[in-house]
Amino acid sequence: MMRSFIFGALAALALPVAGQAAEGTRIQVTGEIIDTWCYFSGVMGSPDAVVGSAHHTCALWCSAGGIPVGLLAEDGTVYMVLKVGEDDQTAGGDGILKLAAHTVEADGTLYERDGLNYIVVNAVVSDLDITNQNHDDYGNVPPFSIPASAKPQGD
Amino acid sequence: MLKHLTAICALVATPLMAQDFSEGSEARSWNLYAEVPATFEATVVDLICEFTGDCPDDCGAGKRQLGLIRTADDVLILPMKNSQPAFTGAAVELQPFCNQTITVDGLMLEDPELGANNVYLVQTIVPPGGGEKIKANQWTKTWAKEHPEAEGKGPWFRRDPSVTAIIEEEGYLGLGQELDKAWIAENF
Repeated sequence: MMRSFIFGALAALALPVAGQAAEGTRIQVTGEIIDTWCYFSGVMGSPDAVVGSAHHTCALWCSAGGIPVGLLAEDGTVYMVLKVGEDDQTAGGDGILKLAAHTVEADGTLYERDGLNYIVVNAVVSDLDITNQNHDDYGNVPPFSIPASAKPQGD
Repeated sequence: MLKHLTAICALVATPLMAQDFSEGSEARSWNLYAEVPATFEATVVDLICEFTGDCPDDCGAGKRQLGLIRTADDVLILPMKNSQPAFTGAAVELQPFCNQTITVDGLMLEDPELGANNVYLVQTIVPPGGGEKIKANQWTKTWAKEHPEAEGKGPWFRRDPSVTAIIEEEGYLGLGQELDKAWIAENF
């Protein structure tokens, strides 16, 4: 009796097994689709500077480069986006790229694991485009995101 | 009986909590304020598979986000970056080792205030069964193979067809070409 109880307890500690579906929670979140590497690492500046219009071009680069995209909710929570609708190509796919820096209302399933929030977005309920227009406060971040060729010539 | 179970849990948990994953790491610093060198054995998993049970054999062919389940403590690590300072992620580097156990070396980022827990920059990979370390720097080569039409000078992100198409339509700030041009003219 004791032996089977102990084995049961150890087996329970070993869960979850890879490939096994986890229990998710249905949520609705409104927030900005962000570049999580720049946001978490501070490599390009403060968190407020690496979001919105100031960081739009860099957010495109990171999303196209396959860096995980996040949904930064209004309360500051970051949800790592794994899928949007039927589109599972969130590591460099074109579908998620089009949402870079956009504010969206999402309906999804939340999975919490080891300090991170992962979301499978069932549907983008509304795409509000870029609402965080912070380029006058921070410029373009990083400064080289706008190339010299885009700047006025002959001035 | 409860006493026995508590003792077993303590025995299982104690050495794991004390483990220092920086020991033996040869990771190169990126001078990030929250970086900690970390090397560990882990199994490469498809995150969608892990959570939902939707599991293609190839873990999504490098287009799905992947995770690393650390052998020592079963913690799920999110590899966000490869070793290239070029806006490039880690899925392409890890996908060849889908559902296999490897040893990685790199930088862990820990900034709980921002929500950054167990996120990782992969610098090298030792394949299953050992062998030479592989640098996690294949992303740009893979991109070049997938985009022969974008061949040219300059970094990939200036030439990527999907990125350039969006910038042509929405501008660098993403607010439309008219606002973009006016702002650039005023600020440069």
